[in-house]
Amino acid sequence: MSHPTGARINSDLLRPLFQTSWRFFLLVAIFGGIVGLGLVTWMAQVYRGYGVTGIRWPVYWGFYITSFVFWIGISHAGTLISAILRLVNAGWRRPVTRCAEVITVFALMIGALFPIIHLGRPWLAFWLFPYPSERLIWPNFRSPLVWDFFAINTYLVGSVLFLLLPIIPDFAVVRDKSTGLRRKIYGALALGWRGTPKQWHRLETAIQIMAVAIIPVAVSVHTVVSFDFSMAPVPMWNTTIFGPYFVAGAIFSGIAGLLIAMAVLRKFLHLEDYLHPVHFENLGKLLLVMALLWGYFVFNERLVTYYGNEPAEMAVFWRTQQESFAPLYWTMVIGNFVLPLILMGIRRFRTITGCVIASIGVIVGMWLERFLIIVPSLGHKYLPYSFGIYRPTPTEIIIAGATFAAMTLLYVLFAKFVPIISIWELKAGEHPSPTLVPPATEEQLGELHL
Amino acid sequence: MPRWGMAADLDRCTGCGACVVACHAENNISTVGAEQAAVGRAKHWLRVERYWEGDFPDVRLKFRPVMCQQCDNAPCEPVCPTYASHHTDEGLNAQVYNRCIGTRYCANACPYNVRFFDFFNPSWEKPLQLQLNPDVSLREVGVMEKCTFCVQRIKGVQIQARAEDREVGDGEIQPACVQSCGARALVFGDLEDPESLVSRLSRSPRGSKLLEDLGTQPKVNYLSRQSQV
Amino acid sequence: MNAQRPTPNAQRAVYGLYPDGQAAQQAFNRLRAAGVATSDITVITAQPMEDFEFGNLDKATWMWWFACLGGLIGMSVGLGLSWLTETSWPLNVGGLPIFAWWPNLIIIFELTMLGAISATAVTLVVSALLPSRGRTLYDPEVTDGKILIGVENPPDGAIPDLEKTLGAPPGARVKTV
Repeated sequence: MSHPTGARINSDLLRPLFQTSWRFFLLVAIFGGIVGLGLVTWMAQVYRGYGVTGIRWPVYWGFYITSFVFWIGISHAGTLISAILRLVNAGWRRPVTRCAEVITVFALMIGALFPIIHLGRPWLAFWLFPYPSERLIWPNFRSPLVWDFFAINTYLVGSVLFLLLPIIPDFAVVRDKSTGLRRKIYGALALGWRGTPKQWHRLETAIQIMAVAIIPVAVSVHTVVSFDFSMAPVPMWNTTIFGPYFVAGAIFSGIAGLLIAMAVLRKFLHLEDYLHPVHFENLGKLLLVMALLWGYFVFNERLVTYYGNEPAEMAVFWRTQQESFAPLYWTMVIGNFVLPLILMGIRRFRTITGCVIASIGVIVGMWLERFLIIVPSLGHKYLPYSFGIYRPTPTEIIIAGATFAAMTLLYVLFAKFVPIISIWELKAGEHPSPTLVPPATEEQLGELHL
Repeated sequence: MPRWGMAADLDRCTGCGACVVACHAENNISTVGAEQAAVGRAKHWLRVERYWEGDFPDVRLKFRPVMCQQCDNAPCEPVCPTYASHHTDEGLNAQVYNRCIGTRYCANACPYNVRFFDFFNPSWEKPLQLQLNPDVSLREVGVMEKCTFCVQRIKGVQIQARAEDREVGDGEIQPACVQSCGARALVFGDLEDPESLVSRLSRSPRGSKLLEDLGTQPKVNYLSRQSQV
Repeated sequence: MNAQRPTPNAQRAVYGLYPDGQAAQQAFNRLRAAGVATSDITVITAQPMEDFEFGNLDKATWMWWFACLGGLIGMSVGLGLSWLTETSWPLNVGGLPIFAWWPNLIIIFELTMLGAISATAVTLVVSALLPSRGRTLYDPEVTDGKILIGVENPPDGAIPDLEKTLGAPPGARVKTV
């Protein structure tokens, strides 16, 4: 199955930029409205005081930190697909890379908002930035939250560059196909791009370097986010498994997010010729692998805790598995493990619809997983007199929910102004470098044209 | 350099709660109202925990006043991004309100749950604002607060002693809870001085520390006839 | 979506637009046979075409070294920041050493990677996106899949010969600006 070539690619992939229907404005209005509601609610929280949330002694982290970890996790979609698949030169990545990189950038931006939203004094958030202040104090580099600041910002800069650099040739395409003001703007954005071999080589080398660099950064980012938990002596938090567990979970939820985004784009932008069922199948197989990996990590964590039999840890263990949090826990297991295994494991179900259903299950399951790591442990530490519960308030629900609308809104806007599938990379698939196609596999050349 | 510590004799504690009230009065801790207290937002820097032992009719009641243990290996300190929670030379865990941006990581890390967050700006109904202690700053919404071993009293006595060109005597510094305890269950002093009352009590065979196995090295010794509750 | 007039160039140029790689490679070979230096030939494509020789020009780059240099700078910044600030204002937190290697390694690592990534982006902009040697030739038809092979600023007398050379391969359209 191959995609259209040449001029047809241009017209198909530039169509969303040049043709706007009423549906676009409706989507922007709806999601913009929800985002606006979220912003107003946050302003109200800052004005009225943090007490409008459901946070209380001793559960001092709740929906906001759950959402923070969740969105940083989603942001690992782009890294896996773009960077790793580029490095192993998997041809089927070509229509998928930009969708994934966009998810990363926007999920990171949204995730990075939450440490500010959850602060007691958010107007002082800039103190996390290392600058010589008149207070003669710098950030505490031994604090996991400061590691978060550095890691997330590094990843954000890296992801933005990783997204923007390959867009430059596509901006040139839009520039050539447009007139007037749009032409001027895209011309400026294209930064003097012409398309000489030297420019192509430099660009591809830069992308290669960044792909190599961004993978360790991505691994470090979610490991550092996991350190927010494992550095505290809280039952079931102070465990060495959190680093790899969180990274695997992040890649897991990232793939799920990517699958949903791809399915939606395919439907709404009529990209059936570019996003084939085989793309979804391949990603679905990855989803299956990550589901198994997730299950492996959970099994490890819980079995070791069970045998450790430390009283405080076992109390939290049963609390999640059998007592008050059991409904959420088992929903999580179904969403993260059972559903993906069935839908992605059985070939008949590995269709686009199946992938989307499994992905939605994973999204729900992964959000619950973050919640179940945070709240049961904090509410049941060591001294029985200080056990407590947590109930989210409408403020937290609205703000956490508005982030999903924000993600959708940003994505819709992006797809309107930038081609969502990389035009030049798609065309480049027809001209592979001879070094990558050894003579023995030349008869398989046709498969490169996905 | 003194090292401040406390001893709490659980066999003397009657659970009257005078220490809690004194702490509120001394440190300008506002009450949060019945509604917020029900949600779990009361800021009792010092709380009296009540435990029942045994079955009727052999029931025994145990009270345990729990305040910030001023751990030498405090888990709340490395995690604060702005050094608002750090260790002083005299062994106290200092909470600098001006540096706190309210991430609440310290409260999550504290195994004793003795750190409290200001969910709203504190308020006192008139004329209660007249009894505020001028030696202690008021905390605004969004910062963490906790027991300081009444550092304002420690400093006050140290300054007085230096002005009078003498050493601080044992028992001269009394945090509000120690001062108000009718059963004299709470003792405060310098652990570096082996002859101080608190040091002698800390060496008692009845003594143990709270959650000692976590490695936090708390500086409050609880004395009790039975093994630690 | 209208095709635009070719972007007006300040200098003169002779070039041909070819429908596929083979024709373009023929034109390229003919130009070199006619005595034009490889560095004087301008090639413009809508995507990298590494399966042809003309798509493999100017491959050598120092970008990896610049990335490593950026990484080194980032590492020094990270090391300096953590060591200088922690030793200048020593604060005891949780009994940890004043300069603890384990946690500071994270900061150092992140800044190293940030340095490497930023250096890569800067190198790309400087080496590829700033116009070099005043070459600005461009034709929007490239976007439709045509490959541009040409010579910028040829000596006036050579133009008719160049036009003939460029026009020889099949499907060529020669333009002179």
